[in-house]
Amino acid sequence: MSLVKDLTNGIYRENPVFKLALGMCPFLAVTTSVENALGMGAAATFVLICSNFLVSLFRNLIPSKVRIPCYIVIIATFVTLVDMVMNAYLPDLHKSLGIFIPLIVVNCIILGRAEGYANRHPVINSVADAIGMGIGFTMAMVILASFRELLGNGTWLNMNVLGTAYQNQPLLIAILAPGAFILLGFILGFFNILEKRKGGGQ
Amino acid sequence: MFKLGLILMLVALVAAVALGLVNSRTAPIIAVQKELEKQNAMNEVAASLSPGDSLAFDSLSVSGLGNPYAVCDNTLDVVKVSVPPDTSRIGYVFIAYGKGYSSTIQTMVATGLEGRVSNTTILYQQETPGLGANVENPSKLIGSFNGLIPSEFILKNDGGGIDAMTGCTITSRAVTNSIRTGLEAMNEAGLFTDRTDESENPEGTVMESSTEGGVE
Repeated sequence: MSLVKDLTNGIYRENPVFKLALGMCPFLAVTTSVENALGMGAAATFVLICSNFLVSLFRNLIPSKVRIPCYIVIIATFVTLVDMVMNAYLPDLHKSLGIFIPLIVVNCIILGRAEGYANRHPVINSVADAIGMGIGFTMAMVILASFRELLGNGTWLNMNVLGTAYQNQPLLIAILAPGAFILLGFILGFFNILEKRKGGGQ
Repeated sequence: MFKLGLILMLVALVAAVALGLVNSRTAPIIAVQKELEKQNAMNEVAASLSPGDSLAFDSLSVSGLGNPYAVCDNTLDVVKVSVPPDTSRIGYVFIAYGKGYSSTIQTMVATGLEGRVSNTTILYQQETPGLGANVENPSKLIGSFNGLIPSEFILKNDGGGIDAMTGCTITSRAVTNSIRTGLEAMNEAGLFTDRTDESENPEGTVMESSTEGGVE
């Protein structure tokens, strides 16, 4: 029961982007297309699972005074390993994800979950939490990226949706940085309304 | 206190050893792949020079050539293209570097012997997504380059005939100008045959190249 709760926690109730407002930098940067959002989400989820696993495994060995540097070393090592292995053995995937991989290091969701969850919970719960958070992060990015790609380029996952007439004169701001902030504001507002309705106007 | 440092050192040590081991295994594979990628790009671009033939590439060291780019070293890397077993050149491939809006754009260009561009592809760019990044799309800017001669590589905004991409004049100008300067430098080095008479006569060009071949 608690495992299922851990797993679903990150998807809605504590969604890292919409509820905790973590990982905004990569979130705003790579949501220019759905393809990029999926790639970044997959890479971040993988690192999140690995780092949560290790941090939870060594949670009793690492003294609390030096835990933050230890987490950073663990996360950075995983990111670099993923980068090198992917570059060597999966060059095609690396080509499309390559630019996002270094960005994962600065993704504070990963450090946040290591510090906020994995260092106090058993390995299996931590991995479940990482999977849930990863899915939640990916979902949030796909939502914003869908709006941005659709409005700014007239396509969804590189498929032409709104027709070539729209593509010739799209709403360019949606794909630029200001558009990311504006759309994120709308989405966050929407979630707040949802929350208020559910909470009975507290 | 001492114990804390020791533990931290241990963590860093394990991480460093793991990274070193993986790197020593993956680095050579990555290097081979980079080279292969470049070869593939060259093959793709140069295919337009002689469709259907397998091509051979030889690097030319064009020494004494003024560097038209601020970002790379003193020589322009030009690759001679030939169809084996014949060793006479049928054209060139070179990489043009142009400072764009947010990156130095690398364009691989294939030209015929008379300096007429036959194909181009973008090797690297980090321009604004949705705007300058569209430079990679062959149906936009670089699609209009095929068949042009060096002096025609000027944007409409600058008095030439090439349409810049909407909203990204800087990117378009960088690519266009970098190709022009590269071609002009090659022309100065005497790599191109005289356009006026030889271009109409393919036999003449081959003759010219086989007798002249002292550039390598």
